[in-house]
Amino acid sequence: MDLSTLVYGLNLAAIYGLMAIGISILWSSVGMINMAHGATFAVSGYAAWLASTAMKPVIAAAFGKTLLASLATAGVVVGVALIAGALMGALIYLLAFLPIHDKPNFAVRSLIVTLAINIATVQALLFFFGPRSRGLPKIFGFGRLEIFGVSIRYDQAGTILCTAVLLLVVLEWLRHSRKGLEICAMMQNPEGAALSGVSVRFTALPIMMVTGALAGMAAALLSQTIFVSPTAGAIPLIKGLTIALLGGLGSVPGAVLGALLIGFLEAFTGVIPFLGQRYVMFIQFAFIITVLVIRPRGLGGLLDDTRE
Amino acid sequence: MPETARTETHELLEIRRLTAGYGPLRVLHEVDLTVKAGERIGLVGLNGHGKSTLFRAITHLVGWQQGSIRLDGREIGGTRSLGAGRRTSGIVRLGVAMAPQGDAIFPGLTVRQHLDCGAYPRTAWRERRTRRERILEIFPPLRALQDSLVGKLSGGERRMVSLGRMLMVEAELYLIDEPSLGLAPKISRAVMDAVWSLPTEGRAMIIAEQNVSLLSGRVDRIIGMHAGRMRGEVGHVALS
Repeated sequence: MDLSTLVYGLNLAAIYGLMAIGISILWSSVGMINMAHGATFAVSGYAAWLASTAMKPVIAAAFGKTLLASLATAGVVVGVALIAGALMGALIYLLAFLPIHDKPNFAVRSLIVTLAINIATVQALLFFFGPRSRGLPKIFGFGRLEIFGVSIRYDQAGTILCTAVLLLVVLEWLRHSRKGLEICAMMQNPEGAALSGVSVRFTALPIMMVTGALAGMAAALLSQTIFVSPTAGAIPLIKGLTIALLGGLGSVPGAVLGALLIGFLEAFTGVIPFLGQRYVMFIQFAFIITVLVIRPRGLGGLLDDTRE
Repeated sequence: MPETARTETHELLEIRRLTAGYGPLRVLHEVDLTVKAGERIGLVGLNGHGKSTLFRAITHLVGWQQGSIRLDGREIGGTRSLGAGRRTSGIVRLGVAMAPQGDAIFPGLTVRQHLDCGAYPRTAWRERRTRRERILEIFPPLRALQDSLVGKLSGGERRMVSLGRMLMVEAELYLIDEPSLGLAPKISRAVMDAVWSLPTEGRAMIIAEQNVSLLSGRVDRIIGMHAGRMRGEVGHVALS
């Protein structure tokens, strides 16, 4: 076991964190568990693949094989994944939120509708693209860099850096913008927010677009390691959901902490000789169940207690 | 009678045969109430007899209701079984502001952010600094706490923040649910003094309280409530 395992864990935590934070924010503000988050991930991956394939000759003609060409490709992949994720979030808003948000048992109804959207989307992707996996261009290039004697792959460094920057931007937006204030109020006290004139109907759209964009970013980053396929969103969805639960649904710091713990747990379980990759899910779920038995409110509850 | 000059006396709120409750439980039974602009009304009754439910029905925080609620002649009552709170923001934008019982606060926001939340409706947002300044004049202890997290404040300070948030909404009708609940007598008096200092010109205020002595001499009328029904004005009809 060496320090590169830590970097691998951090890389996984970054991707899982993007999924978990989106799920957590959506639950605490809108009261919806978005089971179509995995579909958003897959659609964003395919959108980025389609765009990068279409733009490849254009970028090659304009920039040749220079650094600018790599930057343009990265911009296309990340930009299209973000936009596709946001648009998918808007679509889920139209299909799974708007028609039922004022009906009783919205939480259960929306869970079923988003699950249906997830299944339908996976089937549609299979219909249009087939089961074959597609590879996204390596937006961070090939190679390694040495930091304090630790060898880090470009894609790992890029993923960790991009996630940190994106999360910082989202958190600052939540903290300082008017829309962010509105979302924070809804997350902390939906009744109080309603009494302040905040409409869940209108606030849900930007929330779903932002969380969709986070899933899109996760797709662009994870697709540097694995291939894009119709079912590519299933594992990130499961990991995102369980991490959001582990972190305490609704707690952004809890989700970040949960993502770090699960990322490191996955990385370290994989390198322990008598365990290995086949025990990763087993160990993760055993860990999550143990934490939730001891702390039913998850790590977010623990953080709240510490703060108080 | 409060000293505030009355400029308008039109009927601001008219409630007729309002029945409301939670799921199969009916808490309010055929409630009638008329409130005129400029009036301060005290609503008294024991715990669990429908004072808060009346406020929650007016603001649509109760999922089921039947009957009529008219604000300035406009019907805001609903007979459809909508999800609780789904129409509340619309009611607030029409001019109803409420400080619910206990601490309806956002614990992770600062006092400044919390007050700004009250100014959420678009026209109020542009004037939020002026309004915030006005609130800080009414509740001076909040001035030094503007950057503190609301979750870390004392009970009295939280109540001030909650009332402050309500006042940031430029409303015609203020509903204040047990502002002194759970507070030490000294803090309670300070909070109530702040409540009485609020201007009511052209506006109306209904204050729910269990402690009648806090209301007497400070409101225009005190109405009793028992078992979800109006029992008439205190002084004319004895409370059960």
